Amino acid sequence: MSEAQAVRPAEVAPEAAEEDPPAGRLQRIARLQALQILLLLAVTVGIFSVLKPDTFPTVFNLRGIVQNTAILAVLGVGMTFVIITGGIDLSVGSVLVFSAVVADKTMAAYGGTGWGTALVGAVVACLAGLGWGLLNGVLVAKAKVPPLVVTLGSLSAALGFSQIITKGLDLRDAPRTLVDKIGFGNVVGQVPALAVVAGVVVVGGIVLLHRTRFGLYTYAVGSNAEAGRRAGVLVDRHLIKVYALAGTLAGFAGILNLAFFQSTTIGGHSNTPLNVIAGVAIGGTSLFGGVGSVFGTVIGLFIPIVLQNGFIQTNVQPFWQQVVVGAVLVTVVYIDQVRRAAALRGARPGLAALFRRRS
Amino acid sequence: MNRRTAVGAGLAALALAVTAACGSDDNSSSSSSGGTSGSKSYKLAFIQGVAGDAFYITMQCGIEAEAKTQGATVTTQGAQKFDPTLQTPILQSVIATKPDAILIAPTDVSAMQQPIAQAKAQGIKIVLVDTTLNDPSVAVSAISSDNAAGGKAAFDAIKQLVPGGGKVLGVGVQPGISTTDARDKGFADAAKADSSFTYLGVQYSQNDPAKAASIVSAALQKDPDIVGVFASNLFSAEGAATGIRQAGKQDKVKVIGFDAGPDQIKALEDGTVQALIAQQPGTIGIDGVQQAIKALKGEATTTNIQTGFTIITKDNLDSTGKDATYKASC
Repeated sequence: MSEAQAVRPAEVAPEAAEEDPPAGRLQRIARLQALQILLLLAVTVGIFSVLKPDTFPTVFNLRGIVQNTAILAVLGVGMTFVIITGGIDLSVGSVLVFSAVVADKTMAAYGGTGWGTALVGAVVACLAGLGWGLLNGVLVAKAKVPPLVVTLGSLSAALGFSQIITKGLDLRDAPRTLVDKIGFGNVVGQVPALAVVAGVVVVGGIVLLHRTRFGLYTYAVGSNAEAGRRAGVLVDRHLIKVYALAGTLAGFAGILNLAFFQSTTIGGHSNTPLNVIAGVAIGGTSLFGGVGSVFGTVIGLFIPIVLQNGFIQTNVQPFWQQVVVGAVLVTVVYIDQVRRAAALRGARPGLAALFRRRS
Repeated sequence: MNRRTAVGAGLAALALAVTAACGSDDNSSSSSSGGTSGSKSYKLAFIQGVAGDAFYITMQCGIEAEAKTQGATVTTQGAQKFDPTLQTPILQSVIATKPDAILIAPTDVSAMQQPIAQAKAQGIKIVLVDTTLNDPSVAVSAISSDNAAGGKAAFDAIKQLVPGGGKVLGVGVQPGISTTDARDKGFADAAKADSSFTYLGVQYSQNDPAKAASIVSAALQKDPDIVGVFASNLFSAEGAATGIRQAGKQDKVKVIGFDAGPDQIKALEDGTVQALIAQQPGTIGIDGVQQAIKALKGEATTTNIQTGFTIITKDNLDSTGKDATYKASC
């Protein structure tokens, strides 16, 4: 039931479809959505490449785009799980900052600038994130406080604690090795280390969601918690685990953030949770729960960043960039919604309950 | 059918995006190639600390005017917030467009160091305008106001307005921004040095007017006898004025603002703010372009340039202070 659970063979997905046909159907649509988003991303990249052939499709630029998406992608993995359960986590930006602050303090106390210090920092950051995640999870699952409220509370509290610890002054004690090797380093050639680290997290997230019982339970809790409970899923405990996962990943993103910005960027992550949620939604994960994919989220996170990058290169006025990104978000989710509604109309009458939930 | 709708709508959204791209090429910016002089037309880029701020718009006006004179083209970009996590991707995108020089107002002394060093590594000349970095040697020139002197000027203004002394409070943006840190320090040092004044410290508004308002109204609850508030940037001053109005103390507490955007000028006219310390963003921009072009031509540059201040009060607003006010558009 834990991450350590042996990876189950590919038959899991069809099995799920048999147990719960509408979910399986929506799942297929979600996959289709992810592919179409990928197409949209490819078209966007294509258009900018044609408009700015000398500057857009360059190694430097694409490398930068990937680097700028990496930290959001780590957060996006956890957010996808949370949203599939029908919840939301607004606290990821603050938990990121809090974890970075705690890790920074620890690394400064530990001393040194090598890998050892960086590793200590990473572990501490993950633990700090885990703590907030567990708190969120317990409040959501046991105290039955709505996730929006719980995580709005921890958003505020985690940022507050960060400011208490630092007195509002950004800390800048990231060890040099961490900054040079992870934040700005390359693994091979021009492949940024930050992207490789995020890629590992993303692949781990995909496996966990689509190939393990943990992932199956996540879908089950999100599509119908009561049915899941009757089928033997420990819903409360699973919810706690999902929020803990999101918190831990936010903590991990904290150490990556420290590596990339060399600063705890206390004032800097107020919009991060919303950007991540936008990416998750563009990527085809339903905010009603039960449907979604990590792969879609990653593509969904790339789209606003590619648009921003392209708009800057084509010299679009800054304020227009936000308008277009907002329009893309709503358009994409609307199309997704239309498609899902159509799929459900074609579904058997016994699925009426599910239909009501989503309309 | 659905699929077609989906793809169609997706393309429509994209078309909108591209139209926006093309549309604003004409009117929003700034591309002015006056270069018939025969010499190479340099491509400059200006990255603001935050978009839509009168200070940076005035600087942009200076930059564009000077670039036109020099026969260079310039494009301007800025993030929605004064935030290194938002500025880094913008800088990276601008670097990819391969300008000859970048004029940038870094939003954090250390977080922007490495991204700006990347720009230099691409052979781009860097000029730091307004704010600076821990290690400004990546830039050919750093141009800013002498902010510590500006903070001291703010204290002098309070002293003129309240000769008897009393408690004074600072409202800053957020720690780690070189310019506002220096202003706060200049103000703090001057206030501490004068025994008739009590310095209550600096509170940070995170560049949020609402937060600045709540800070000031809370401070007035605690110390109702505050005589002066120094708000070290635009949004902090706007918020401080609101906070004082909330507390009903607009006649008793003198507010000294930094910068002279349209809103502050209005606040000065209304009497909510009693004095403004105006920087010279236009001059910073002009100097920035000159230094960038000198560097591109291989001439010697001035590593550090400090520009001065104008103190604007209600009395000189129609005369000398008028030229010092910031512009909302060029």
